[in-house]
Amino acid sequence: MIVTAFFYIFAAILVASAGMVVAARNPVHAVLFLILAFFNAAGLFLIAGAEFLAMILVIVYVGAVAVLFLFVVMMLDIRFDQMREGLQRYAPIGAAVGLVLFAELVATLAGLKIAPVEAAAPAASGLTNSAELGLVIYTRYIFLFQACGIVLLVAMIGAIVLTLRERVSSRKQDIAVQHARHPADTLVMADPVAGSGMDGQILRAPGWTPALDKPAPARLETTS
Amino acid sequence: MIAPGIGIGHYLTLSAILLTLGIFGIFMNRRNIIVIMMSIELILLAANINLIAFSAVLHEISGQVFVLFVLTVAAAEAAIGLAILMTYFRNRGSIQVEDVKLMKG
Amino acid sequence: MAPVINDYFPVLVFVVIAFVIALAMVGGSLLAGKQKPYPEKLSAYECGFEAFDDSRRRFDVRFYLVSILFIIFDLEVAFLFPWAVSLSRIGMFGFLSMLGFLGVLTVGFIYEWRKGALEWE
Repeated sequence: MIVTAFFYIFAAILVASAGMVVAARNPVHAVLFLILAFFNAAGLFLIAGAEFLAMILVIVYVGAVAVLFLFVVMMLDIRFDQMREGLQRYAPIGAAVGLVLFAELVATLAGLKIAPVEAAAPAASGLTNSAELGLVIYTRYIFLFQACGIVLLVAMIGAIVLTLRERVSSRKQDIAVQHARHPADTLVMADPVAGSGMDGQILRAPGWTPALDKPAPARLETTS
Repeated sequence: MIAPGIGIGHYLTLSAILLTLGIFGIFMNRRNIIVIMMSIELILLAANINLIAFSAVLHEISGQVFVLFVLTVAAAEAAIGLAILMTYFRNRGSIQVEDVKLMKG
Repeated sequence: MAPVINDYFPVLVFVVIAFVIALAMVGGSLLAGKQKPYPEKLSAYECGFEAFDDSRRRFDVRFYLVSILFIIFDLEVAFLFPWAVSLSRIGMFGFLSMLGFLGVLTVGFIYEWRKGALEWE
């Protein structure tokens, strides 16, 4: 009873927020409505008994994909008002295509007859939803599972290739060089007699070259 | 019967509405590629709702496995698509879909 | 698959309580507080002088790369959960199957490490 009511609540909010995703003027609002739509879809998944997927939908979509969309909307910093100009021009085509598609779907649904499957009673395995999923993902669907791994690998490498830029001007820390540095390479110990000074010779580390852009340290210059 | 009073027909109708909204969004926002990608996410969500509903009615876990795979592919698609979008914006300074005609000759 | 939705009744109670508290706070401050809105209250605030620009500004691209890599590893962990729960029933085959998956993603991880995508300069 209460579940039925919640199905209608979730479904209504889902449809309304999906409509707002399509119609919102500001893309930031569109992303936020997309997040609302995903939350309600997770509720519908729960009602249908897919607990694990409901949680994954919240974690992966709301937590990662929607944030990615938000980042891009914020990052591109486009004047979005001018993007809505062509709205009226394309709306009739979109409405026509959408209506035709919807009519086809309704016609299909109206003629649909689901065979009564209640006879095939659920094998009361006593397993949780995620355990049942785990039983088949890694064995029966192993090839699809490995293909998912490949898809993720391609996505990772593609994203790096597309967006990573080497910044030549940056002076980033190179830990290996820091560790390989030895005191003998850079440091010379001098022990001048008191009052004699360094006799005009300035001790430099081996391999030292005069830096052209900055003056030498004042303390060394006074010894000459 | 998925829940008392809720059959497979309810879920299928809902996903049909979602799919139609997604298709409509693609046509309505032909210039804004970010909203187009969000519409594609809606379409994939409609497909997922279908799979889950059939999985619940048929007492068969395979539908949920496929939803997991669809989620993976959708996330990878969003990552790559948005990366291409970023690169395009960096080169051209605009993401107008109608400007993408360099190869038109 | 038993109707698991019955187990979520405590979650429903929790959500209802959260909604009631949030509504009470927002509604209470709407009812009890004085509201005198004027444009200065809504404008961007920078300490002591006129704001230079809008609060909307462009992020660096590097945030985006971190976010993408987060998605990839998020999904990888999502695949680990059912595996961990059912590992005792799927045996050595399931174990090796997951090892193959992790191996493929480790190749990507080594790539991004060597490429310096994880460094923040």
